[in-house]
Amino acid sequence: MKKIFSSRTVVTLIVGIIVIVSLIAGSNWWAKRTNTPPFLQRFGNDLAGGVSRVIAVPTTAIGRTANSIGNLLDTFEENKALKAKIDAFAQDKVRLQTVQEENKSLKEQLKLKATLTDYKTISAVTISRSPTTWQSQLVINQGSNAGLKKGMPVLAGAGIIGRISEVNTTNSKVALISDTSSDANRFAITIKGDNGDVNGIVTSFNREKNQLIMGQVTSDNKIKKGDLVETSGLGGVIPAGLYVGKVAKVSTDDYGLSKKIYIEPAADLGNVTTVMVAISQIGAN
Amino acid sequence: MAFWQLTRLRVIYPVLFVLTLFIDGTLMSGLGGILTHFPWHVLPTLTLGWAFLGVQFDVDNELPLWFYVTLVGILFDMYYTGIFGTYTCAFLVAVAVMKQLHRVLDERLLSGLFLYLAGLVVYLFISYLAGFIIGLANISLLTFLMYEVLPTVFLNVGLAAVVHYPIWSFFQFLR
Repeated sequence: MKKIFSSRTVVTLIVGIIVIVSLIAGSNWWAKRTNTPPFLQRFGNDLAGGVSRVIAVPTTAIGRTANSIGNLLDTFEENKALKAKIDAFAQDKVRLQTVQEENKSLKEQLKLKATLTDYKTISAVTISRSPTTWQSQLVINQGSNAGLKKGMPVLAGAGIIGRISEVNTTNSKVALISDTSSDANRFAITIKGDNGDVNGIVTSFNREKNQLIMGQVTSDNKIKKGDLVETSGLGGVIPAGLYVGKVAKVSTDDYGLSKKIYIEPAADLGNVTTVMVAISQIGAN
Repeated sequence: MAFWQLTRLRVIYPVLFVLTLFIDGTLMSGLGGILTHFPWHVLPTLTLGWAFLGVQFDVDNELPLWFYVTLVGILFDMYYTGIFGTYTCAFLVAVAVMKQLHRVLDERLLSGLFLYLAGLVVYLFISYLAGFIIGLANISLLTFLMYEVLPTVFLNVGLAAVVHYPIWSFFQFLR
């Protein structure tokens, strides 16, 4: 009987598979462990980021035109709905400014420096996005030069979209909350319930439903669909009060011992052209 | 090197190979609202498409195709994921499959598109498997097939059909 593979081919294949799997697992482990990549990788990424910036000019223009055409179709209905909401927002804005002033003066009286809700933002532009099955990461045009560090939260549009996963000198990578990696979406959140807050952490992302999951919730506080979810600031790196999304569904886990809460993210993860990196002010002064 | 030599295939091909790598990323970013509109996840794979055109039009007679595929794979891993091995392996295996099939298929358009289809499916499946190795896989195989493989194949094979003859003429001109 004729052999399909010679023993030499089989050995080469097995060795090749072992090398590739070790390389993937090893570099994944290393990427999680280090705050900045090795010099050569950082240099290569900075160079690649420069080329991407040039290429991004026409493609971003095409993308914006396509989105504008898409949005134009809904403009009339959307305009009517927004006009109805605008008066309420004006009232909220005045109230917010008053509360902010009051908060500032109270902090001064108490001689408090920065608290969990104090953060400054750095704006950045998306220059690229990984065309990959997993690890949907954005490349933004600010890096360690602008003071960015691994783990900082990134906001776009209505809410949080992910965290900085790698910092190079002139650009950084943002791991989106739609990734299951621990770099992307394991942050502390709080749900504003009717009879008290519920604290916990995001445990995973359901890509088939496009929803974040907060698992192992044992609190008896009542949570219902539509309740607002924000970051709690616990852990230190991510400031408190960043909008995450709304509760979509509350269910119990497989054993019926704890609750599992599904959260509809506020931000549109598809269309991210500009972002803001939030830098906590705790320990800044 | 005289200026006219810069317009030769052995110079133009690798330069455009690297450029397609960046174009994929900027397309994904610029058209993200359309390409990743829930539940779809469509990938532009111009880089693999350029490798396919290299196989289809036998550029490895004039330049070290394997070397460039490896280099682009490493660059892809370094710039887009920071995890080495996944896409280097995916590019190499996809090109190996396309080269094996190219031996038994002719150079007509439909044969070429079948070649690319096979390479693309292999490429996507290797990336899917890599997700399991590093514990990132969070969608079922059916969802992956329905919302990622199918639309990605339609988009990229369609694009390859449109550019097949113009690129063939371009390569003839460069030769």
